[in-house]
Amino acid sequence: MSIMQYNGGSVIAMVGKDCVAIASDLRLGVQSLSISSNFEKIFPVTDRLYIGLPGLASDVTTLREQFRYRVNMYTIKEEREIEPQAFAQLVSSTLYEKRFGPYFIEPVIAGMQKTPSGSYAPFIAATDLIGCLNFAKDFVVAGTASEKLFGVAEGLWEPDLEAEDLFETISQTLLNAVDRDAFSGWGAIVHVITKDKIVILSSSAFISPGLGLAS
Amino acid sequence: MHWLRSHKELRALESKVHLSSDSGASADPCAASNGIVIATEKKSSSILIDDSVIEKVAVICPNIGIVYSGMGPDFRVLVTKARKSAQAYWKIHGEYPPTKVLTQEIANIMQQATHSGGVRPYGVSLLVAGWDFPRGPTLYQVDPSGSFWAWKASAIGKNMVNAKTFLEKRYTDEISLEDAIHTALLTLKEGFEGQMTEKTIEIGVITVPSQAELEAGKVEGTGRYKPTFRKLTEEEVRDYLAL
Amino acid sequence: MEVSFAMTGKGYVLLAADTTAVHSIIKVKTDVDKIKELSPHLLMAYSGEPGDTVQFAEYVERNIRLYQIRHTYPLRPPSAASWIRRSLAESLRSRNPYSVNLLLGGYDTSTYTPHLYWMDYLGTLVEVPFAAHGYGSYFALSLLDRYHDPEATVEEGLAVLRRCLDEVSKRLVVSPGKYKVKIVDKDGIREVEL
Repeated sequence: MSIMQYNGGSVIAMVGKDCVAIASDLRLGVQSLSISSNFEKIFPVTDRLYIGLPGLASDVTTLREQFRYRVNMYTIKEEREIEPQAFAQLVSSTLYEKRFGPYFIEPVIAGMQKTPSGSYAPFIAATDLIGCLNFAKDFVVAGTASEKLFGVAEGLWEPDLEAEDLFETISQTLLNAVDRDAFSGWGAIVHVITKDKIVILSSSAFISPGLGLAS
Repeated sequence: MHWLRSHKELRALESKVHLSSDSGASADPCAASNGIVIATEKKSSSILIDDSVIEKVAVICPNIGIVYSGMGPDFRVLVTKARKSAQAYWKIHGEYPPTKVLTQEIANIMQQATHSGGVRPYGVSLLVAGWDFPRGPTLYQVDPSGSFWAWKASAIGKNMVNAKTFLEKRYTDEISLEDAIHTALLTLKEGFEGQMTEKTIEIGVITVPSQAELEAGKVEGTGRYKPTFRKLTEEEVRDYLAL
Repeated sequence: MEVSFAMTGKGYVLLAADTTAVHSIIKVKTDVDKIKELSPHLLMAYSGEPGDTVQFAEYVERNIRLYQIRHTYPLRPPSAASWIRRSLAESLRSRNPYSVNLLLGGYDTSTYTPHLYWMDYLGTLVEVPFAAHGYGSYFALSLLDRYHDPEATVEEGLAVLRRCLDEVSKRLVVSPGKYKVKIVDKDGIREVEL
């Protein structure tokens, strides 16, 4: 059993029309034993930028702290918020720094990138555990349900989805993919980002009493 | 040398940099609405020196150039460090540093030399001209103490007092890059000894990219953005001098 | 085999850990206290590699104490958990990592809320309503899924804990005989006899 599958968990990001969405499950397990159904893997970077960190749970926290530190330093030094493109490079170089003893995380990045004309364009990217960037135009997936996510997303995604439709598409993609994966699931959280609004919705669907989400 | 340098000592050193006639340096920058020009005279002590290899205006990265007044070798070392720093920044962020960040980086290097053991401060004042997305065209001066600040137009070097008075009269916020180049040349002319030719003048310019250029993004073929800082060729300098 | 449980209730956290020290197949001690009192409102149950456990627990204990001496007030549970996690995460990628699993229960006297954290030797940290380490977790977690109530009184909480211990005694081949149970609430820490 690979260390990438030890704790379980999956993340997906999708591009829509003037919006992006990023979603994950909430499970944390130790192999097949579920420990928590409230372990968040998606974190805000700026008002328009999120990062998802599926993989080894210890490294989820370590990298989250590392990125928070680096982005804070960037914001202070440059007197501006980091843009998705520059942040993706930062993620890549942070991971590659540990090329021969990597963090066991495959990050997914989603945000709205400022354009020279002052408007915002959707941006998504993903990297492998040593920071090889993949800039996609449609969707990116990572985690233990990645194969399933690829399959469902390939069928459901279409170009230029409005925010509401994108929410529906990403939610259905995630939920149906993690249902077929024993290591992902136990609730989900979806973030939809537009240029001036972020909607966060967590689903308590399919959650049994116990593990803290009874109500 | 004492480990703690007094403020007085640094000020003395700064004024030496500005007024030294042996280095014969003088640099005049002028920030225009659509660009920045940095210009300097380069005079060699002997006609036997091949002055085509002397470089006083240096490209640091595609969006930043610097010029100096003071000690040539110290400048060369700072250029090397600044270029390295710009590449290190590119490796992490995938873009070149904003002018202010690069200036800060150089200023830090210079400040450290004022209190590190076994070294003397860098004997140069710098003018850093650059363009970046968040701030547009900006111009900074860095002194040997490590202090730095932004200018609209200024001069460093042997004729700086007169040059600055001259610039105060000529400068407006709306000045165009073409006018700024001429103003810079006129300013240099004020205290120029000898003939102003393409061999004795060096010019670097920041050209603010147009909205269309920005939206077009990377230049096809090269896969890079069009540089915003470049040095004028001898031909171009000759043409400006002829006008 | 080592077993530890913990759960939150209304204004308190309960921690239970077995008291046996084992050397290969031999029980060498039956009165070991594996729950450290880190500060007036913070408890830590530890298990794992013998040697590492006590060494690491004491390291944490002394550092938490040092913080209190320096700042005059103790670290609150979320901050303490974060600090301990980082120690374990850094240890994991060092030349000889600590193999220690922890349950951290505390009462935050500033917000009047109980906190329980599940942590393993990898530096995995998660806040949970109830938790367990060791073979006991396979029995206790499903029981707690059914019977845990975050609004339960101490008596009700202890009754649920009793169920867990009984189930482990009944079904686990290598079950421990005795447990130490501690509780932390607004009044501080106290030991409970089951």
